[in-house]
Amino acid sequence: MDDTTAAREIDHDEFDPYGTLALIVLYFVVLTLMWVFTYFVEFLGNAPTPMIVL
Amino acid sequence: MRTSPAKLLILIAILLVIVVELRTVLAFFDVELTVLQGIAVGIVGIALLLVWAFSPLFSESDQ
Amino acid sequence: MTDLFVDSYPKQARVVRSAFLTAYIALGIGALFGVLQALHRTDILRLVESPTYYTILTGHGVFLVITFTIFFLVGLYQWAVTDSLGRGPVDMRLTWAWYGLMSSGTLLAAIAILAGFLDDPPTVLGSELSADVLFTFYAPLQANPIFYVGLVLFVVGTWLAGADWFRTWWSWKQENPDARIPLPTFMVLTTMIMWYISSIGVAVSILAFILPWSLGLTGSLNPTLTRTLFWYFGHPVVYFWLLPAYLLWYTVLPKLSGGRLFSDPLARVVFILFILLSTPVGIHHQYLDPGISDGFKFIVMTNTMFLLLPSFLTAFTVVASMEHGARQRGGDGYFNWLQALPWRDPAFTGMSLAGVVFAFGGFTGIVNAGMNINYLVHNSLWVPGHIHTQVGTAVALTFMAGSYWLVPQLTGNRLVGRDVALVQVVLWFVGIVFMTNSMYRGGLIGIPRRSAEPQYDFDYEIAVGSIPEIRAQLAIGGVLLFVSAMLFLVLILLTAFNDDSEPIVDGTIPPALSGPEDSPRVLDDLRVWIAIALVLVAIAYAFPLANIVSRGGLFGPDIGPFPVVVETVASVLSTTDTGMYLEALVETES
Repeated sequence: MDDTTAAREIDHDEFDPYGTLALIVLYFVVLTLMWVFTYFVEFLGNAPTPMIVL
Repeated sequence: MRTSPAKLLILIAILLVIVVELRTVLAFFDVELTVLQGIAVGIVGIALLLVWAFSPLFSESDQ
Repeated sequence: MTDLFVDSYPKQARVVRSAFLTAYIALGIGALFGVLQALHRTDILRLVESPTYYTILTGHGVFLVITFTIFFLVGLYQWAVTDSLGRGPVDMRLTWAWYGLMSSGTLLAAIAILAGFLDDPPTVLGSELSADVLFTFYAPLQANPIFYVGLVLFVVGTWLAGADWFRTWWSWKQENPDARIPLPTFMVLTTMIMWYISSIGVAVSILAFILPWSLGLTGSLNPTLTRTLFWYFGHPVVYFWLLPAYLLWYTVLPKLSGGRLFSDPLARVVFILFILLSTPVGIHHQYLDPGISDGFKFIVMTNTMFLLLPSFLTAFTVVASMEHGARQRGGDGYFNWLQALPWRDPAFTGMSLAGVVFAFGGFTGIVNAGMNINYLVHNSLWVPGHIHTQVGTAVALTFMAGSYWLVPQLTGNRLVGRDVALVQVVLWFVGIVFMTNSMYRGGLIGIPRRSAEPQYDFDYEIAVGSIPEIRAQLAIGGVLLFVSAMLFLVLILLTAFNDDSEPIVDGTIPPALSGPEDSPRVLDDLRVWIAIALVLVAIAYAFPLANIVSRGGLFGPDIGPFPVVVETVASVLSTTDTGMYLEALVETES
């Protein structure tokens, strides 16, 4: 299984990259969660900006 | 063996990565693992992977 | 199996081997400096005094992101042009001339940097031999002129290399007037166009301002101007590191997966987008700089977000090509095809893991690029975390993995220790996650970057774990990376001397599923893209530069030289106020 010989030939018209689609959907879900996480770190993780009244 | 040694090595590496990153994520939900607990989770995870890989119950022909 | 590259093109193989050798030497020294820093700043093992930390830091940066990456690039590109055009350069003397220029430039810069280890450095060209100015060598930090002369020779060498490849392509074009540019050559030419446009900034910065200033010819300069000119080059240079890795992902990775590149036109579009967008974004490194108004910064942020596009296109094309290979090898299902990939091959596994790290490290880049969120992480340990996932893994790990595939073809020797090589790339992957995870977490709570002693007498407000734990994790990661780098170098060295062997490697690159004939010819008309790129650069930079010059003057508001010499540091540090100023200067970067 480790040599690069192809078990079958698949040409352009037979190939639909569903696996790639699945991975990309997964990746975007993770990215979205990371953005949500960032929102909490950036905006809710810090104390309000101190007000200085002169 | 259910998988090849190379894939087992990569699975272990990915497991370690998940353990390291998961500690940060879990802490966000107020689940704080200490370093020792983190190491324990890692060891248990690797042990489970090895059992899965080598268990004769699931033995298939090697790829 | 076809002829090996070394058999078909023995003279060109020699150039590529020489370039790779220089790159690997730089990798060895840079990796050593890296682990020394990791142990020093975490206060675990201190082999040098803290002022010398900045010599090590400069060496780590320059040797890895200038010498290692760019020497690997010229080697790889020489291979790519020769292999894809099926011919050597028009005149090999030019080829050796650029290699010689780049090497002598590197040597000069290295001498200036390494002199930082001397207790009593000699005086050269009117100032002490020293270059503790970090990889971002703009004013007011000042190095010995030798350092800048070395950089200039190096950059001129890369320009000649580009000219050499353009000349080779031109003479190929005379013989093949109607043929499309082969994809690897197309990638080389577009990368070099981007490099020509962007390296003008650093050339002007050094030749017009910093070098005369360090020689004492001009008494002053405008620091904002030299910073802006540096970052004009400083962001595209990251794509100069990245695009050779992309070349390997687009040409070699599909082949290693057992398939073919999904789309040749998409690959061309990606490289064109890099010509267009990689330069007019540099000011995003200067979000915290005074002297540049927020409006310009906002334009640059918009351009930067557009730059995500080529990387997302790449993620799709490369993964789809891998899936094609996996399916040809019998894989199926939505995720099961991943199992059919050749994970035992260190070249394949190294590049794939590099891609995974790049995909998630890219997210931290989006954080850096956001004007508001940047304030949270600017100058913190987060930024080196980002750099190490991107150039330190996406690029470096891909280069190492690519070496396992290329070096046997360049030497005619079989790769030594294929299984050890697999362990090496996996070790790098684990090491980088350990190290960068701690850097990101440390950065978020405000631990500074570029500091020998980030131990203060106040407590950081830490959300997860503890500071000693973050330090330990950083040090463990750094050590794993060092061990991995040394393993790599040993394997390559053994391979180089493994004379009595036949390599098991097939160097042929299969054609793309969707070939260049599916795309409009205008993609190959490089003049169009150069023109558009120059317009975008003018829009992004004309007003900010005019603004900076009109406010601060070309040669600045009387900014004197700031030589970084150990004695000066020690004496100045004794007076608290200037000491704090100096510390701020040393730490204020990027």
